[in-house]
Amino acid sequence: MIAVLGLVVGVVVGLLVRPEVPAVVEPYLPIAVVAALDAVFGGLRAMLDGIFVDKVFVVSFLSNVVVAALIVFLGDKLGVGAQLSTGVVVVLGIRIFSNAAAIRRHVFRA
Amino acid sequence: MSNDETPQNDIPESGRPRREEPLGKDEPMRKEEPAREPEPVGETAPVREPEPAEAAAAPLTGRQRLAAGLWPPRFSRAQLIVALLLFVLGLGLAIQVRSTSDSSALRGARQEDLVRILDELDDRTQRLEDEKSRLEDQRAELDNSSDQAEEARKQTREKERQLGILAGTVAAQGPGITLTIADGAGAVESDMLLDAIQELRAAGAEAIQVNDVRVVADSYFSGGDGSPIEVDGTKVSPPYVFKVIGKPEDLEPALNIPGGVVQTLEKEQATATVRRSDKIVVDALRPAERPDYARSSSQ
Repeated sequence: MIAVLGLVVGVVVGLLVRPEVPAVVEPYLPIAVVAALDAVFGGLRAMLDGIFVDKVFVVSFLSNVVVAALIVFLGDKLGVGAQLSTGVVVVLGIRIFSNAAAIRRHVFRA
Repeated sequence: MSNDETPQNDIPESGRPRREEPLGKDEPMRKEEPAREPEPVGETAPVREPEPAEAAAAPLTGRQRLAAGLWPPRFSRAQLIVALLLFVLGLGLAIQVRSTSDSSALRGARQEDLVRILDELDDRTQRLEDEKSRLEDQRAELDNSSDQAEEARKQTREKERQLGILAGTVAAQGPGITLTIADGAGAVESDMLLDAIQELRAAGAEAIQVNDVRVVADSYFSGGDGSPIEVDGTKVSPPYVFKVIGKPEDLEPALNIPGGVVQTLEKEQATATVRRSDKIVVDALRPAERPDYARSSSQ
């Protein structure tokens, strides 16, 4: 519950305060958000499976974000930033979908 | 244990068996309850309740785990950490959504559309720049012409003052002389005064006043031969005081030359005295008269 509240508060604060994103971070924000979403879905699935460990969640969340940002950064340096971003989004999207399917099986038993 | 507690706790406690029914035979979990309860005696029931629920939920299905995790809020370390991370996620999400929706008009546009829009904007910028420089030129021109008009006005005012001194419409002051003609015998005629005026003009007099009458280009003397002398129709009586503005070093000798005005007057038993002064004020005025026939031909 507290976790859901944290998400809601984050969205509300982001919408109301309109913080200025530093230009350095800006290109990595969307991919980092997608990576974090993947971690969250994974965490939700683990919770439903009853194998949720907060330490694992934290590490996977942070490492997902960092690795995703790193890939985009590397892609930018190599001149294939757009393609790599697409690749990362595709991979994360597939993972999110599979996690969502597992969650669905738990929640709807179907 | 629950019996020892306060009556308020009884109501939430009564709900617990209903929730735990699915667990059924989960005896070890139930045993944990009494062991935990002594600690949070002072706490309210809703906070305490989730603990057994969570402990009991271990073999539950995912749906029940979800419900158990959602409803009774718990302040465990895991929850707080996850909440913090989710807060960051929500923040990033909101920022990204907002910054994306800010420029949504161009986001979905194709490349050639974007190029066309860019070209149009360039053209428009060019046009506006042209218009700006044109307007700036115009403004500079207007500034210039208003400066010129101001200059012309200033010169006109200056000229008006100078001409006013000649026409007698404004007062004048400056170095000059005072010529006083005392006519004890009544022998001074108007032509003698006219001679004096002519002599002064020839010597460079710029503004002349006889008694209270300003002498200008069309001034005339009349009278004499017994009748009082008039200047421009105004009677003047002796002593005649000429206030003259001009160069004193020129005016005084012009009057005093042998056979000049002063000598002529002295021959007629009138006394003429000339006194130089650094500041003569000619303050008698004449109204400016519009000529009846003569018009400026410069317009």
